[in-house]
Amino acid sequence: MTPALAPAVPAPRPAPSACAHCGQPVPASLVRASEALQFCCSGCRQVHTLVSEWGFDQYYRLVDRQQGTLEPAKVSGRSFDDFDDASVQDAASETLAGDRRRTRLYLEGVHCSACVWLVEKLPTVLHGVDDVRLNYGAAVAEITWRPAEARLSTIARALDRLGYTPHVQQGARLQEARRHEDRASLVRLGVAVACAMNLMFLSGALYAGEYEGMASPYALFFRWLSLVVAVPVLTYSARPFFQTALAGLRAGVVHIDLPIAVAIAIAASASAFNVVTGQGHLWFDSLAMLVAALLGARQLQRSAQRAALERADSLRGVAFLEFARRLDGTEAEATAIEVPLTALAPGDRVEVRSGEIVPVDGVVLSGRSSLDNAVLTGEAVPVPVESGDSVHAGATNLGARLVVRVDATGPRTRVGALLAVVQEALAQKPALLQVTDRMARRFVLVLLVTAALTAVIVGALHGPGAAFTRVVALLVVSCPCALGLAVPLALSVALLRAARAGIFIKQADAFERLRHVGTVLLDKTGTLTEGRATLARWVGDDRTRHLATALEAESAHHVARAFQIGASRTLHAVPVVREVVEVNGHGIRGVVDGRAVRVGTRAHALGDAEPPADLATAAEACVLDGLSPVWVSVDGEAAGVAGIGDRLRSEAAATVAALVHRGIRVRILSGDHPSVVARVGAALGLPAGDVIGGLTPEAKRDAVAALVGTPDAGGTVVMVGDGVNDAAALALADVGIAVHGGTGASLVAADIVLTRDGVAPILDILQGSRRLAGVIRRNIAFSLVYNLSASSLAVAGLVGPLLAAVLMPLSSLTVVLSSTLTRTFARPRRRATALPEA
Amino acid sequence: METIFVLLPLALLIAAIAVGLFVWAAMTGQFDDLETPAVRVLFDDEEPVAPRRVQGAAASTTGVHE
Repeated sequence: MTPALAPAVPAPRPAPSACAHCGQPVPASLVRASEALQFCCSGCRQVHTLVSEWGFDQYYRLVDRQQGTLEPAKVSGRSFDDFDDASVQDAASETLAGDRRRTRLYLEGVHCSACVWLVEKLPTVLHGVDDVRLNYGAAVAEITWRPAEARLSTIARALDRLGYTPHVQQGARLQEARRHEDRASLVRLGVAVACAMNLMFLSGALYAGEYEGMASPYALFFRWLSLVVAVPVLTYSARPFFQTALAGLRAGVVHIDLPIAVAIAIAASASAFNVVTGQGHLWFDSLAMLVAALLGARQLQRSAQRAALERADSLRGVAFLEFARRLDGTEAEATAIEVPLTALAPGDRVEVRSGEIVPVDGVVLSGRSSLDNAVLTGEAVPVPVESGDSVHAGATNLGARLVVRVDATGPRTRVGALLAVVQEALAQKPALLQVTDRMARRFVLVLLVTAALTAVIVGALHGPGAAFTRVVALLVVSCPCALGLAVPLALSVALLRAARAGIFIKQADAFERLRHVGTVLLDKTGTLTEGRATLARWVGDDRTRHLATALEAESAHHVARAFQIGASRTLHAVPVVREVVEVNGHGIRGVVDGRAVRVGTRAHALGDAEPPADLATAAEACVLDGLSPVWVSVDGEAAGVAGIGDRLRSEAAATVAALVHRGIRVRILSGDHPSVVARVGAALGLPAGDVIGGLTPEAKRDAVAALVGTPDAGGTVVMVGDGVNDAAALALADVGIAVHGGTGASLVAADIVLTRDGVAPILDILQGSRRLAGVIRRNIAFSLVYNLSASSLAVAGLVGPLLAAVLMPLSSLTVVLSSTLTRTFARPRRRATALPEA
Repeated sequence: METIFVLLPLALLIAAIAVGLFVWAAMTGQFDDLETPAVRVLFDDEEPVAPRRVQGAAASTTGVHE
């Protein structure tokens, strides 16, 4: 497993069988000696079977050629009946000519470019599917199909069986609007660039004419032509500047676009006046270049931010309460149909299979299992349920199949109420002034003073005509470039770098707030810890552990899963497991390789026998550290003790220490039991007063709201979390960070979404923001020095218009280089996962 | 030299046509996704096993549902 060790230590065993689909080693218990191909899980087996059945083996060659790696495939096995429901489909579909429909599905598990090939091959095997286009970056497939000949559920099942669990794309209307806006701004940029280029040619001729002499009819012709070419730039491309400046003025805010709009308006009318009167300088070329450069910088920032926004939109609600499996018919022979949640009525029966999320609030009618409530309440320990117990939507079923009577669905469930709280918190979040807007105020003041001084001094020395010319020169060459380019360029480069490092930043103004962080609030379950029960400690020999793991492979209990997590990739000889008996609430027993193995509580594993002293001590130590001890006996003798628990992430302690070292106050807000949280706090070395457990989601939100903006916070309040119960707090904090693997609700509520595991990226974010602030300051300084010196020379009348026209792009170039050459966010050492998983 | 009075507007007209084409391309969504087409072009047409256009494929997928 550890690549560093691989060359040094030759493998003692023969090469392990690799999974025919994903190439990962196959666990010994799954190796089937009679078959030529081996698979590491049933998902890989299903996907590989379908891929070869359909003759798509080229897929694996494509993966190899692009040095892509595959993850073990996930196949949900859903029927997707609910996709045929018009209310589900319509949100992401449109009807085309010829009785066809185009539907957008978000695909989980799109990981490399070979996926594009595979998904787009669907029309060759599925009848009634005309075309499939996969947008690789957004992981959204656009499917054109004929409802008369195919059903969406059939298409969805095919995608699912290829390892891409489809979801009907959410927020499609919003994305449609954004796409339209993107296209319009691209056209604006294109028009501005095209006109600017042509204006440069015309101006070049005019400049040359000024030095070498130009017959007046030609000069006049060129000047009028300049005016004609400048019209589209001024009336169409530059319109957003005027619109936002005006909107800002109406709202009583000085927006960054105000000085830009003023400069454009003054220079354009002065130039137009000069064209009509036939004398004086024209600024059309500089203006068009300015508009093109500003629009270009904004387009960059936009596209850098869009990736994060699009993912958050697609994930809104994905993998979280999309459908329910309703049981129709009598108790004895019920048929399960997947229906959208809106089709459920109180009293209906729904089935929740192992590993699925409970879709409704209700009461268990039959079945016995344990539920993981971590995303709802922050509790790390699964709760056992049996018939008669009430369950809440959003909990994950870890054990066997349950049948649940529906009491409430959608917004009337507990999780629905929580999501409403998140919406409310998002609406309450104060709109912070963008960094550029605050600078704009200072700039406008400085600019007005300088312009007034220039007008007075030059006016006194050279008369009003010259004064006007130089004020316009000052306005055009100095201010807008510094403000309009320096900041968005630095931001867009930082956003792209951050995204490559697994940090998706939805709002660029989060950078500004991250410069003075006073408090970092951390969720416990799933954020500081791994959020699932794992084999955190093992006392005993490897052979015993192997026997216990083999036995537990037969069970779906959460303790059994913990054994599998640590062991799934280690290879041993195939054990033969027989006579397995699971005793609910106590443990499991069976015969493994001819030896009687028992795993479970002490009474279950040992009976009345007294365990050896070292194992007894180990078990006590587990309890003290908050782990549940699980005993293992072989042939009636105690052989090992496993500590099962939610383990702290390996880098959590170092990250917290680094934050504290920077003078940031770190606190833990958790919904888990106070004693568990206190133990985690102590392990991280935090003072007991800063570690709070047992919080409801509402209490978490209130704790954050009470802290934000108070002197007690010591600066910006950053909240880091993953669950639905953190979402409201994430939305209300100055900056909310959702960790990798967080729920859809937390991804929507947070300002920053991590796609890299763990909490260490928090440090990268803080460091990156500080470096970014430095880059912005330097950029502004650069452009100020350039432009002020150039314009003061212009004011003094020492620089001709040609030199000024050369100097302006030079200053822009410096800003571009300064932005791109600085490392704001370093690439992570480990590869970032391409997509956040809900 | 008078020819410039004809040639220059003509050149600008051609530029305008180019801009018009760009506007059409942008508005029909050809620049919406800049990532996938770059990947798509790498796939060869070689098809070792001819894809079978099976009518029954839909049915075989339906088989998953039980």
